[in-house]
Amino acid sequence: MRPREQTISVGGIDVHAWTGGQGEPLMVLHGAGGNRGWTRWVEQVAQRFTVWAPTHPGFGRSGDAPWMESIDDLARFYLWLIDAAGLGRPHVLGHSIGGWVAAELATMSPRSIDRLVLVAPGGLKPERGEILDIFYHPPAELRTLSVHDPTTIPEWDELFGRAPTAAELETAVRNQEMTARLTWKPYMHNPRLARFLPRVTNPALIVWGREDRVVPLDCGEQYRRLLGNATLSVLDKCGHLPPIEQPDTFARLVIDFLRGPIRP
Amino acid sequence: MKLYYFSEMPHHEFPDEEGAKYPSLRLDFPNRFFNPEKARANYQRYLDEYEFADRAGFDGLMINEHHSTPSCVNVSVNMTAGILARTTTRAKLLILGNILPIEDNPVRMAEQLAMADLISGGRVLSGFVRGTGVETWWANSNPVHNRERFEECHDLILKAWTTPGPFRWEGRHYHFRHVNPWCVPLQKPHPPIWIPGTASPETAVWAGRRGYTYVPFLVPFDVARELFDYYRQGAAEVGRTAGPDDFGFLICAVTADTKAKALEAGRHFVWRMGPTLRGPVEYFSPVGMRSRAGTQFAMRARPRSLATMSYDELLDGHYIIAGTPDEVIDRFAHVRRELGIGHLLLEAQESRMDHPTTMRSIELMGAKVIPAMATG
Repeated sequence: MRPREQTISVGGIDVHAWTGGQGEPLMVLHGAGGNRGWTRWVEQVAQRFTVWAPTHPGFGRSGDAPWMESIDDLARFYLWLIDAAGLGRPHVLGHSIGGWVAAELATMSPRSIDRLVLVAPGGLKPERGEILDIFYHPPAELRTLSVHDPTTIPEWDELFGRAPTAAELETAVRNQEMTARLTWKPYMHNPRLARFLPRVTNPALIVWGREDRVVPLDCGEQYRRLLGNATLSVLDKCGHLPPIEQPDTFARLVIDFLRGPIRP
Repeated sequence: MKLYYFSEMPHHEFPDEEGAKYPSLRLDFPNRFFNPEKARANYQRYLDEYEFADRAGFDGLMINEHHSTPSCVNVSVNMTAGILARTTTRAKLLILGNILPIEDNPVRMAEQLAMADLISGGRVLSGFVRGTGVETWWANSNPVHNRERFEECHDLILKAWTTPGPFRWEGRHYHFRHVNPWCVPLQKPHPPIWIPGTASPETAVWAGRRGYTYVPFLVPFDVARELFDYYRQGAAEVGRTAGPDDFGFLICAVTADTKAKALEAGRHFVWRMGPTLRGPVEYFSPVGMRSRAGTQFAMRARPRSLATMSYDELLDGHYIIAGTPDEVIDRFAHVRRELGIGHLLLEAQESRMDHPTTMRSIELMGAKVIPAMATG
């Protein structure tokens, strides 16, 4: 089943998106590394759900949004996109800063979405430890810090195995700049988010790598406590990129959660 | 050509092998290696040297500001300007400069500069800079806003200096209900503005449009000429023709009674070129701080990092000039011919160059070099 690419215009910004699959709509919000498209786990989840994977404004092939200042701006934007693209009441899955966006939009309008999957999201200040300063490290070092063991990653060669082209480097810089625009200060968290999370009683699955060196697992525990109806699933031998590091396990977790019974 | 004396007020008071253990002397090197007793004496010494440079006849005293680095512990240009405003009598005070993008209160900056201008009797030359990435980290200022904040901070300072208050400022990055400073500059309409450059064509064009004095720092001559061309382009846009007085250049320089002594003293500048500039690119140029054009220009402008050059190469490239007064006069004249500048800024004290050597260099500059360069 081939995904298709399309452009969704929202608020004067052309948003590039991958779409494909069948079933209820699932919006997938990517992390700071950009939209990796139809990777192995998406392929599996798309057997059961219609996946909408937009590229954030300012990233990849989406238009610029130099006026955005924070992750809340991006969250408000995606609530608008859900309406503009006619997604109804989609499930929302977000990874890293995409998970933070998902959490923020859930607090703004919990009834606009169905179930929520947060994968190692930023957004909360750890009670123990610190969120890694991703802007302070050279790219190669950051990649090492992001994963637990590159040799176990099935798509490693496909995703990272060759030197990037000039165009890919340009996109990487643009992605980083937009991430800096949205997350610089307070770094990678919103001090007020914890106050609003209890509003969200949608069924939520939180997924974390036990060896995550970017966002401490402590934040996952906070999310679980603060959200009204959440389960925390911790993957062993996994770093900050569960969808890439353990794609089959991750896809299974997501499918089971989205199709499973609603916990009272 | 006018000559300016400049010291970075370094704090090279630690074993070099300790500094070498860290990715960079900036940001990472722990401040437990800062020695307050040494610093107390050094500040007095550096200020004595500035005051002597004023008496010796330098046209200006240049001061700058950096943070979280032993290469420069002048942590507040406006504080130093306030001191020199009172303790010197004739030289211009070239503040090069205030780091605008990391400033949260441009109105206070406008007041401080005005006060220094008043105390000095109108001797302030007010340089504005974007800062290195290190200062952006230090201030935790978002690098993607660096240029926008630089321009808006500049606009607000100029308005505070020139527009009678009270007025309101609601910009993108700065918001003030009541701007009505009870301290405005002596110089009218405001102190002259200077802008340094190392790699950004946009900054050169911007300075050219506004008629500010533009000073590249430690770049190859061909790069400086290219930046001056960008400046002329900006000047032409507003119907202005740029001349030598619009252009300056910064190098390291020392003179002594013999060539051997001067070359020995000049070797100290290698520390500022090498170890103090060592570190990951992310420290000096965090993401988004430079435009694409600026990044590309920087790569061309610095085909080789200063840190990789030997002392002889730094001397050959005119990054460092060290010699007897006559030799220094020849070299300065060469720089003037090559670049057509009206101002030469001399980083003239560095690192472990001792006080007597520094004072003798200042004395010889005043007695021989400054008079020789004053014509033309």
